[in-house]
Amino acid sequence: MKNISKSIDKVDAHEKIAGETAYISDIKREDMVYAMTLRSPVASGTIRNITLPTLPEGYAAVGPEDIPGRNLVTMIYEDWPVFPEKRVNYIGEPLMLLLGPDKERLASLLDAVEVDIEEDTPVLDYSHSGVHLHYEKGDSDKAFADADRIIEETYTTGYQEQAYIEPQGFVGYIEDETYTVIGSIQCPYYVHEAVKVTLDETDENVRVLQAPVGGAFGGKEEFPSVMATQLAVALKKIKRPIKMIYEREEDMVSTTKRHPSKTTIRAAVKDGRITGMTSHIGIDGGAYIGLSEVVLSRGMLAATNAYTIEHLDVDGDVYLTNTVPNGAFRGFGAPQMIYAIEMFMHHAAKELGEDPFSFRKAHMVKQGDWTSTGGKFRDPILLDEMIEKAADISDYHKKRKAYEDENVYKGIGMSWFFHGCGFTGSGEQHIIKSRVEVEKDAQDTVYIHVAAVDMGQGPKTTLRKIVADVLDLPIERVIFDYPDTHRVPDSGPTVASRTAMIVGGLLARAAKTLKETWREGEAQKVEKRYQQPDYVEWDGECMKGDAYPAYSWGVNVVEVEVDKHTYEIDVKDVYSVYDLGKAIDERIVLGQADGGQAQGVAYGYLEVMSRENGRLKQTNMTDYIIPTAMDMPKTDNHLIDNPYPYGPYGAKGGGELTLVGGAPAVAQAIEQAVGRRVRDIPATPEYLMELIHNG
Amino acid sequence: MNKIPESLNEALQYLKEGTYDVLAGGTDIMLKNRGYAEAPVPFKKNMLYIFNLDELRYIATHDEHIAIGAVTSYASMLRHPDVPDILKRSIRQIAGPALRHVATLAGNIGNASPSADGVLVLYLLDARIILASADGEREVPIEDVITGPGKHTIRPEEMIKEIRLPRRTFSNTFFKKVGARKADAISKTSLAGAARLHDNVVEELRIAIGAVNVTVVRDRSIEASFKGLTLEDLKARVDEVAAAYDSLIRPIDDQRSNARYRKQVSFNLIEAFIRQL
Repeated sequence: MKNISKSIDKVDAHEKIAGETAYISDIKREDMVYAMTLRSPVASGTIRNITLPTLPEGYAAVGPEDIPGRNLVTMIYEDWPVFPEKRVNYIGEPLMLLLGPDKERLASLLDAVEVDIEEDTPVLDYSHSGVHLHYEKGDSDKAFADADRIIEETYTTGYQEQAYIEPQGFVGYIEDETYTVIGSIQCPYYVHEAVKVTLDETDENVRVLQAPVGGAFGGKEEFPSVMATQLAVALKKIKRPIKMIYEREEDMVSTTKRHPSKTTIRAAVKDGRITGMTSHIGIDGGAYIGLSEVVLSRGMLAATNAYTIEHLDVDGDVYLTNTVPNGAFRGFGAPQMIYAIEMFMHHAAKELGEDPFSFRKAHMVKQGDWTSTGGKFRDPILLDEMIEKAADISDYHKKRKAYEDENVYKGIGMSWFFHGCGFTGSGEQHIIKSRVEVEKDAQDTVYIHVAAVDMGQGPKTTLRKIVADVLDLPIERVIFDYPDTHRVPDSGPTVASRTAMIVGGLLARAAKTLKETWREGEAQKVEKRYQQPDYVEWDGECMKGDAYPAYSWGVNVVEVEVDKHTYEIDVKDVYSVYDLGKAIDERIVLGQADGGQAQGVAYGYLEVMSRENGRLKQTNMTDYIIPTAMDMPKTDNHLIDNPYPYGPYGAKGGGELTLVGGAPAVAQAIEQAVGRRVRDIPATPEYLMELIHNG
Repeated sequence: MNKIPESLNEALQYLKEGTYDVLAGGTDIMLKNRGYAEAPVPFKKNMLYIFNLDELRYIATHDEHIAIGAVTSYASMLRHPDVPDILKRSIRQIAGPALRHVATLAGNIGNASPSADGVLVLYLLDARIILASADGEREVPIEDVITGPGKHTIRPEEMIKEIRLPRRTFSNTFFKKVGARKADAISKTSLAGAARLHDNVVEELRIAIGAVNVTVVRDRSIEASFKGLTLEDLKARVDEVAAAYDSLIRPIDDQRSNARYRKQVSFNLIEAFIRQL
């Protein structure tokens, strides 16, 4: 049998390298106008009046009064208006669109709009909880009552901006009386549903097409629904093709980011072991809840990361603030929590005078253990072997010892972690209900019909590889076009590390059926629907049971050197070992690893986004610092096969796994280098200076 | 109307007759005039594009100085054997390779940013700037050209024609740029230092500090006060050197860093420079 992991060239590599790919900003339609957004200049207030200048022929304004359907964007939690009618809740909130053929003219018209808002005091702290979640396991009260020591620490994390190469954008037009939008998006059917509801139209009258996506990282999960509904309202009013592309600064101030967080962990220690733990994670949701509850939930489910703690009590809140709403970003709540718990375990060991590595290993999860929510880790866990491998390739133990010398400004840190694959709990079964089709025509060319989006992570290649391999066809005979909601079924959103495992799994089953019923020279079609593995039991209300059908695992080792004059952090080496079941294409997975690690490590030490009175301070790529090739060292990444019985060829999730462990690994390395405890990230040179001078 | 002159004389004639912003590489001015995709750049003034004036693309070595023409790119300066090493060290940390193929030192001067890395070294090297107009030329020390953030004394009818770097040899030079990352970063603070030692005695000491005041900081009286010391004496008095700059190091809080950090790091770098002599 062929090894599916053996890499092939990405099917879209050539056209992208050659610059032939037409992204959304390259698309033009005849008689097209541009849309520009009027935005709130204040963080909190009530609209008194908006006075427009006289609009020339061919120009139009579109606002809340033009919405035919419901003025709430359809998403997991619905509190986000298409356009606010009275209350404005954050700086940059879209108030209305201006449309017209000439951008410079539009810009000057936009400048001439008079916005009269009665401003009030914005909420900018963690005081207004919009969502509270809680779960528990065992009897944590008793654990704390019996404890001979209690350890508590608080951690904060900052914003993170997705910094996709291509800003958000759509082109919309009416064709055959169908409202058609094409955009840089992750979830065609999310956009489809949102537009349909906002326009009060039928499923058939709304069509969503995916344009090639120049990076997304979660930033194009729910936000495009907001933009698309606005565009659709304008489309219905002016009935001309419209192009709406955000400029970079506009994108950065007005689209979703990773939630800043504050996490407090308290542990009951008995005989040198943690017996119980209470945690509270608060995340800053911004002005609307949107996806934040689900982000919070994924964070809380990672409360004990890859450790088994018998008695547990976990609380979480989404705090509402008068700032830009936060949302999906690769990792989805897990990076905040995994950072906190990894640092906590490390610091707790130090408090107890134990070796952090051994202390952490003594608490590590094993196959058969209960999860934080009382589900079961059913599948083999290879962490022991992975940690040994990571320690070996990085020479971790020797370096860890050598860098303890306080005259050496070097440090090495190690994190280990899991990531739950797919939607939380029974989400795949009850919410997503994924459907896929594999079709062949009379010439025996095979077509994949799914709504999965290739945003750089490779499904255009990997999904074709799976189907081609099952059918034993050359990959050229398997076609996978950009999703079009008029042609493909809803295979679910391209999120939650689910595409290879869930969509790929369904496609493998569909392809197998097609193979078994294959009739040469005849058109055939096979459909498959998601069926939850029998063992999954989840009570969403109490957050009890199996939160995920499967888990991927990882180990990151990061080595740094800190400049003693400037406190600058030089990331010297990154080593990793991952278990994501089975790589469908090894090079694509290693590419995910390089990118995810860069994003995860930079989250820990480099990427700063801050705000003052509700206004973001870093609003362009000059001021918002992401790592360049100069900042990221060569990486040494390894994959370990651990096939998952329900995934295609054993594949689990990989997209987010590679990000979630970067921050604690680099933070541990930094704290060793400077001999101080890091609690807040990003651990910038400015922060290190304060730590060094003030302890 | 925007103009694309074919000779320096033609360019100077335009400047005499009208008001223009001069664009060499355009890497700063394009950012200052950001507009919208699929729309023209919203320049506020008429533009004089000088990037194809080949007569200003040169590096010439003279007895007393190196002359660098106004449209010479950073990339070509890196390749030239006579460009001082400390200037090359700063250039290697300006932006990234692609930008260095078009960006120019003259543009860096015209932009008059106190955090410009190339300009910092010009202060250290006592660079002189040749400003040309249709009526003639004048030679002005760099510190008299730049007067504040975005402010300079170049007259509307003038443009930068050449940068002159006096040829001096130093026993020791120091350059450190502190940016948020290793490439494509604007300095939070930066320090360039140079010293000439003879028989263990400090004959000359120069220090230039960027991004901590409205212009690059260079103070010749402070430098002179440490001349004549033995190296050991200088090192013993390193705290005094740093303290002498205290009132000149007046950084700000902004989106890139904060004043406390900039000040502390500037002191640390003065110390690092002196200690490595």
